[in-house]
Amino acid sequence: MKSAPFEYARPTTLTEALDLLDRHGEDCKPLAGGQSLVPLLAMRLARPSLLVDLDRVPELRGFSAERVGAMATNAQLERRAGDLPPVIAAALPHIGHFQIRNRGTVGGSLAHLDPAGEWPALALLLEAELTVESKRLGRRTLSAGQFMRGPMTTALGADELLLSVSWPRWPAGARWAFAEVARRPGDFALAGAACTVIAGRTRAVVFAVGPLPQLAGDGGFEVTGDLHASAAYRREVGKRLLDRVMTQAAM
Amino acid sequence: MEQSLRVKVNGQAVKREVPPRLTLADFLRDRLRLTGTHLGCEHGVCGACTVLLDGDAVRACLLLAVQADGREVTTVEGMGEPGRLTPLQRAFLEHGAFQCGFCTPGFLATGEALLRSGRRLSRAELPDLLAGNLCRCTGYGPIVDAILEAAGSR
Repeated sequence: MKSAPFEYARPTTLTEALDLLDRHGEDCKPLAGGQSLVPLLAMRLARPSLLVDLDRVPELRGFSAERVGAMATNAQLERRAGDLPPVIAAALPHIGHFQIRNRGTVGGSLAHLDPAGEWPALALLLEAELTVESKRLGRRTLSAGQFMRGPMTTALGADELLLSVSWPRWPAGARWAFAEVARRPGDFALAGAACTVIAGRTRAVVFAVGPLPQLAGDGGFEVTGDLHASAAYRREVGKRLLDRVMTQAAM
Repeated sequence: MEQSLRVKVNGQAVKREVPPRLTLADFLRDRLRLTGTHLGCEHGVCGACTVLLDGDAVRACLLLAVQADGREVTTVEGMGEPGRLTPLQRAFLEHGAFQCGFCTPGFLATGEALLRSGRRLSRAELPDLLAGNLCRCTGYGPIVDAILEAAGSR
């Protein structure tokens, strides 16, 4: 349970961080809050030769009601939950335990892309845009659907950094609901769902049930089973949670 | 390559050269011999290693020591001493809020953070707020009682 050795860099500007990623590419890994990456290092599931700690890069900090810098922590957002779309405010207390939210970042969660994570589901639900940058490709903007490629897999190149995530302004009168099931409050979701009704249009996602968060449609959704819950359990609970959030949001 | 680390631990400035892969928990225990911070699961689930970083409760096993550079860490050793316990430690003692004691330093750090947060702590919601700390002796009742008493005495 101890990491293999690695080198460590702590850039203080975005340019410096992107230079490091450009030079080291596949051998290096950006470090955000470390709440997922540090255990992966300890279990030796990740073995980068260089960690680039983004903690002191000011360009990645800060957030507003419609845009969140990648290094904003979930705890920082929670303290200003009233400024955010209410469906995000409802999801925040489910993102790990509060001790994890003190360190865990929005960008870290999205770039890690655990299918049980709340942020990937919120990004899909809110039709978010993710701004990424590298020296090689410059700055580009991806939709949530383009960004998410598979479990723990994003469209980010090895030399690319996620800078921020943004979503359309939350309109007055929009309705929403969020629900998830976990063993303990704060544990990984075994199934979850969220819904918005904006200008009469209903959009719902189900997450933590399959390889990625999925938009609810007529065709059902893909499920996978593992140690924590069977595929049959996730199909059943996912369906119930979807029904619940869609009913709540419609009321 | 070792990194130089300056950190304030329990009020004392510390400077050490550390390998980047060293976690804050291992730094506290092995380099500073502050063995009050306990390591259970080492992947953020059990909460035994919880310490305060600039006043916020964090997992010392999920933090590299170098990430604490320039910051302030408080461990159980910095919370009180024999004969001069903190109100929370006194409440733990009075309620018998430990059996084997392994989880206690983590619960004290979590409890201290909750008390300092200024939020109103209710018996109904406290168990959810404590969900990030495991007590394998399952002595949760007295732990909840002790934190509520310390909250009430403020």
